[in-house]
Amino acid sequence: MASVRLEGVVKRFGRATAVNRVTLEVGDGEFFVLLGPSGCGKTTTLRLIAGLEYPDEGRILMDGEDVTYKEPKERNVAMVFQNYALYPNMTVYDNIAFPLNVRRKEIGLTREEIREKVLEVARMLQIEELLDRKPGQLSGGQQQRVALARALVRRPRVWLMDEPLSNLDALLRVAMRAELKRLQKELGITTVYVTHDQAEAMGLADRIAVMNRGKVVQVGTPREVFHEPSHIFVATFLGSPPMNILECTIEPRGGGGVVKCPGIERPLQWSPGGVERIYLGVRPEFIRVERSPGPGRWEATVEVVEPLGTEAVVTLTIGGAIVKAKVLDEGYRPGETVYLELDWSRVQAFDPETGRAIGELARTLRGLAG
Amino acid sequence: MKSRLRENLRAYGFLAPALLLLGVFVVYPIVGTIIISLETQSGLGLGNYLEVLSEKSPSKALVIPGNLGGPPPWGALVHNMVWILVHVPLTTFLGLMLAYMLIHVYGRSLVKSIVFLSMIIPMVVGGLIIRFIFDSQVGVIPRIFDTLGVESLARTWTAYPETSLASLILGSVWLWLGFSLTIHSAAVDSVPRSLIEAARIDGASEWQIFRRVIAPAVWPATLTVMVMTLLWDLKIFDIVYAATQGGPGGSSTVLAYVMWLYFARALDYGRAAATAVILTILTLAAASYMIRRSLRG
Ligand SMILES: Nc1ncnc2c1ncn2[C@@H]1O[C@H](COP(=O)(O)OP(=O)(O)OP(=O)(O)O)[C@@H](O)[C@H]1O
Ligand SMILES: [Mg+2]
Repeated sequence: MASVRLEGVVKRFGRATAVNRVTLEVGDGEFFVLLGPSGCGKTTTLRLIAGLEYPDEGRILMDGEDVTYKEPKERNVAMVFQNYALYPNMTVYDNIAFPLNVRRKEIGLTREEIREKVLEVARMLQIEELLDRKPGQLSGGQQQRVALARALVRRPRVWLMDEPLSNLDALLRVAMRAELKRLQKELGITTVYVTHDQAEAMGLADRIAVMNRGKVVQVGTPREVFHEPSHIFVATFLGSPPMNILECTIEPRGGGGVVKCPGIERPLQWSPGGVERIYLGVRPEFIRVERSPGPGRWEATVEVVEPLGTEAVVTLTIGGAIVKAKVLDEGYRPGETVYLELDWSRVQAFDPETGRAIGELARTLRGLAG
Repeated sequence: MKSRLRENLRAYGFLAPALLLLGVFVVYPIVGTIIISLETQSGLGLGNYLEVLSEKSPSKALVIPGNLGGPPPWGALVHNMVWILVHVPLTTFLGLMLAYMLIHVYGRSLVKSIVFLSMIIPMVVGGLIIRFIFDSQVGVIPRIFDTLGVESLARTWTAYPETSLASLILGSVWLWLGFSLTIHSAAVDSVPRSLIEAARIDGASEWQIFRRVIAPAVWPATLTVMVMTLLWDLKIFDIVYAATQGGPGGSSTVLAYVMWLYFARALDYGRAAATAVILTILTLAAASYMIRRSLRG
């Protein structure tokens, strides 16, 4: 168990900067998730923590001790590789037992104790029947569970997991997720977990770091990053479908002002200094679709309906802009005219130049709701 | 059915030139050699083989049972066996080990190119170099032993029966290492880096990584090296010819050299052919045994 700290870590590969000034603090026993699109530097960050790469700048600390240039072995971390990295000539059993076998003397385990540990973790990951096979005789999902088992069989200071469930079917993935979370909480082993699957991140994480192009954009609890994105990137990366972004302006009008979005207008009881461009963010969940007009409802046209069971994602055009709404599936048909109602208490505002959230403005917009 | 027949005919059509060449230059000489080896004054028989096998003179004997407890000469066949027993494991292991160590070295491709260059040295030249390496005046090995005060090894190794075979075998390790290293290096380079990384994270020492991850992964290459080295050792001739001529006193003869003595010195084609056939049988047996064993393992 350990805390992990990255301070201004930079890693370059030739001209490309894979990790750009990342500063992170992972608490002791925390389940920390790195989330971001492909190529954003998640694996590289994990490899830096593991000691497989050395940073070009910055420091890495474990429990306050500088480990920036220490060997992986000295850091005592276990890692699940994105490409599994199973030893092809060993059986599944020997693969899982390998980390225990190579330091059997150091940790003082008997062969029998190792056997018990391997069997236990194999049972948990449902790979007991595969123990005598070679990795080449396994499916991708089975190999992935063996790779996970090889890390889980140890009790290292930190578990590093690079998309360890990406190749499992939906059912198994949910089951494994629960097992993983249970085991991690039970043992309290600090875990840094990489994924680009937001549902996984939301379900597992104590805290999430959302990364983009080598940078950490936001760190926070799943609730925080979902409901209070600090940057337009986070807003549009999370959620399915992600947040709608409308190009709006705020203008003075009469004594007060007005916020003008495509097809939508709403008076403000406060007067902005001049015309200001903003990006208004609304999650699809916070848009209601009605069939009759009314005050605070705006006309829109249904373009596409994607049924999800009880709910449906409805794509609409409103004033030339495209908006997605997640609503109960009421049998909307393409071409139908409907009326939108925004939940103004949940809107976000972003600076069109920097993409940063403008908390104050968002609060003003929300406060005027209803 | 018909079309398959035509396929086959066409295939043989393309193979014909190669088969013809093989027939003329391989099959015919083999059959010819076997026939010559069986021809004696009293008609066809095994006379040549018996004489070759029971030859007593140290320079041509295949086995000298009386000498086996002491220093060479032990007989050409025994020399070949000793050669194999020392050379195959040493060359294989050193080549693999160096190949693994090289992956940690910056600029390894340059090192590999230089080592590979050493493989283009003709073996006859290699034999001469061995003579120099083990020469008491200019050779590095005797000089080292001289400094260490080991008198018996501070002289010209190729000139004494106790050391001549050893100098050839050790020299051949050096000459042949480039082959082992080159083959192993290609294999080691193709082992995914992530396996080594995984082992490192799992807490394995460098030796454990070498022993349990690298060595098994490159086993097919190792086997190739072992088979090739074994065959080379069985057929070895040029080094011996250039360095010691099998001497002194037959202490460094080998099968191929004995065959050459019968053929070029004694002009005894029957015995030369018999020795050649014995050599061929041993080579075939060794090769097929190793290949079969490897396929099973
Ligand atoms: N060894 C390397 N040499 C050169 N460039 C590299 C190397 N490793 C990573 N990169 C580059 O660094 C960037 C980050 O890569 P990284 O593997 O960390 O991404 P990732 O977030 O794990 O992506 P994915 O979700 O696809 O696994 C990428 O642009 C990649 O091309
Ligand atoms: Mg990755």
